[in-house]
Amino acid sequence: METTDLNLFVRTSEETISDWDRSKIADALIRETLIDQDTADQISEETELMIRRSGVRVVTAPLIRELVNAKLIERGLEGARKMHTRLGMPVFDVDSLILHPNKENANVPHGPEATNLTLAERIKKEYALLCVFSEDVADAHMNGDIHLHDLGFIDRPYCSGQSLEYIKKFGLDLPHSLSMAKPAKHPEVLLAHLVKFAAALQSNFAGAIGWDAVNIFFAPYLEGLSDDEMKQFAQMLIFEFSQQAVARGGQAIFSDINLYWEVPKHFENVSAIGPGGQFTGKKYGDYEKESQRFAWKLFEVYKEGDGAGRPFFFPKPLVHITEKFFRTEGHMDFLNHIADVSADKGNTYYVFDRGETAKISECCRLSFKLEKSDLRDAMEPWRMRYCALQNVSLNLPRIAYTAQHDDTKLMDLITQRFLLATKAHKEKRAFLEKLLAHGEDGPLALLTMNRDGMPYLRFDRAAHLIGMVGLNEMVQIHTGEEMHESKQALKFGLKIMAHMKLLTDKIQRQEGFKIVLEQTPAESTSYRFARLDLHYFSPSSGRVVKGDIASGEVYYTNSTHLNVGYPMNPIERVTNEGIFHPLIEAGSISHVWLGESHPYKQALADFVIKTFRHTTNDQIAFSPEFTTCNKCHRTSRGLDDICSYCGSSDVDGITRITGYFTKVSSWNKGKLGELKDRHRVGEYFNEQQKVANG
Amino acid sequence: MGIVKIFYKDDCPMCPVAKKLGEHLAAENIGVQHYNVETADGLAEATFYHVMALPTILVEDEDENGIGEWRGSVPRIDEVLNAFRNA
Repeated sequence: METTDLNLFVRTSEETISDWDRSKIADALIRETLIDQDTADQISEETELMIRRSGVRVVTAPLIRELVNAKLIERGLEGARKMHTRLGMPVFDVDSLILHPNKENANVPHGPEATNLTLAERIKKEYALLCVFSEDVADAHMNGDIHLHDLGFIDRPYCSGQSLEYIKKFGLDLPHSLSMAKPAKHPEVLLAHLVKFAAALQSNFAGAIGWDAVNIFFAPYLEGLSDDEMKQFAQMLIFEFSQQAVARGGQAIFSDINLYWEVPKHFENVSAIGPGGQFTGKKYGDYEKESQRFAWKLFEVYKEGDGAGRPFFFPKPLVHITEKFFRTEGHMDFLNHIADVSADKGNTYYVFDRGETAKISECCRLSFKLEKSDLRDAMEPWRMRYCALQNVSLNLPRIAYTAQHDDTKLMDLITQRFLLATKAHKEKRAFLEKLLAHGEDGPLALLTMNRDGMPYLRFDRAAHLIGMVGLNEMVQIHTGEEMHESKQALKFGLKIMAHMKLLTDKIQRQEGFKIVLEQTPAESTSYRFARLDLHYFSPSSGRVVKGDIASGEVYYTNSTHLNVGYPMNPIERVTNEGIFHPLIEAGSISHVWLGESHPYKQALADFVIKTFRHTTNDQIAFSPEFTTCNKCHRTSRGLDDICSYCGSSDVDGITRITGYFTKVSSWNKGKLGELKDRHRVGEYFNEQQKVANG
Repeated sequence: MGIVKIFYKDDCPMCPVAKKLGEHLAAENIGVQHYNVETADGLAEATFYHVMALPTILVEDEDENGIGEWRGSVPRIDEVLNAFRNA
């Protein structure tokens, strides 16, 4: 029978109904795979026969493709099948996605934009695992040996950190934009440029967008503003960032603003850029007072919270504590001020830059110590643009189950997984290089724009992150003790991290690109790894995973953290967790869970100083808990089922999930399990204050 | 009697002097542990004791309490022995 004789119609992916044409099957096979014409013709005939026998009148293009794929598999042509396969989702899943929120990332709200994001992510994830990564890397991700973060954003780098100076100097002149704006002349316009540029960057990076020394670089625009005007401006900045819920996928921009009380040494003698992108003739060191006033006002706004008294989720304020901080006038007042915000709303992050190191914090906890070349760049701060291309995390407990208490095997398996993560980085790197090669006509035009003699994305300086999940459980499986249980267990954990640090140094010398260890936030990864290990390594894993197996609220302890539920005082926690931090170049954090109590600000300020002086901890944050009422729009302390003001049960809990605040209702099951286990220490600070008060 | 921990690496100029000190202390029947910070064991131990400069010599009593430390310098042998005597 001739193909045209068949009374059959095809619903095509171009939203048309076409007459049946068998040759299109063979054409597609020849175009998309490497098989020969005869095989393609045979498959098209067999497929047609199968459809004819079924008696259907209308078939869809996806169905035909799957039938052809089945024929390819019958012939053992697996390679061709992969090339010919279709990416997509079952109707049931799409239906479910449109109706129900995505809990993989608590920063994604539920709505049509979020659904678009999730659908696109699903297809890009499949594409990444099929076309970007080799089979062993993809399989290792699928079975949970490693986790390739943000696969749904495979066509972008991971995160980015920069300063305001780029838009101050060059204005807002983005590739393919409908209009270009010259450098801002007024602070409000600069703020508008900042937020728009942040949104543009969010569209080109998977994760966090960080801004360095925001109060210092705004300062030349803020001369002469009254206190009220300064406060109003601070309020505008925070609200503009926190209400960007109309950007990508309805997500607020995951943004960090780095703040300094002092003007750091590397910016002191840098020529300041002011209105119109012109040098003001002064140095940033001359703007200390304006930058301090602005930082102060920002924290006044953080303390008040949003219109319902809730903490702002974004932008996250990271205050750098340095030796110079303690030599700068007014530092204790400022420390008490930001500690007050910690006690009240929890926003403040304290980043400790000890000795003469200087850092820029990029993502939720990624920071880089500035090297000599970076310090040269600091003289022209618009050049200070940093990024990480990708983050790959290792499932450490999985390695320990497999090693079965054999030290050599354990270390060897860590090395093997490390090499696999490096391979994943090379593959992502090659893929991004291909995209970037298209320049300003390509998909990553923004990152290739060249306004200062180099592309915006400084690819050669990009970092590649290797994270870890469940060091505590790895030590527990291998030695029989968790890291808080003995000095030996803690030291064994250190040995693992030292092995990884030495591997990092060695492999990056071999590969010629920067690889650094990072404390993975692992918002969903710690849950995913725990679930997969319960499946593959039961019953051993059942004795190790944290949380509640019966309810499915299971997790591994994040990164190098100690057991979140173990009752230890916070100074012991930040000291012992801080021991690991010097080995983790891309930054680390310890969380101090406050719970519902409201500690004295002086006690928190004192704790910050002690942490800076007596530990090697890189960064801390204090996390209170709140209940916000959707009926009366008031917010109270603690996590409750009903509003303490009006009695409504229409309430949301709010606290820090990993590196940011969000509503508890959006958390995945693993994080809910961890929330129940967290040992709250708010009362410890009140006791300390009572002792201090005599 | 406690123990002396010597932290070193292969290419640091003062480290051979520290290792020599270790040999002299061992000859005095003092327990000495050498840690090369370019190995996982050495780096882990160095991180635990916040070693930031090399060589570093730490002296601990039998309960692992610190009774003497030299960070980035090498003491004379009698200074180390005094640390034990004064503990």
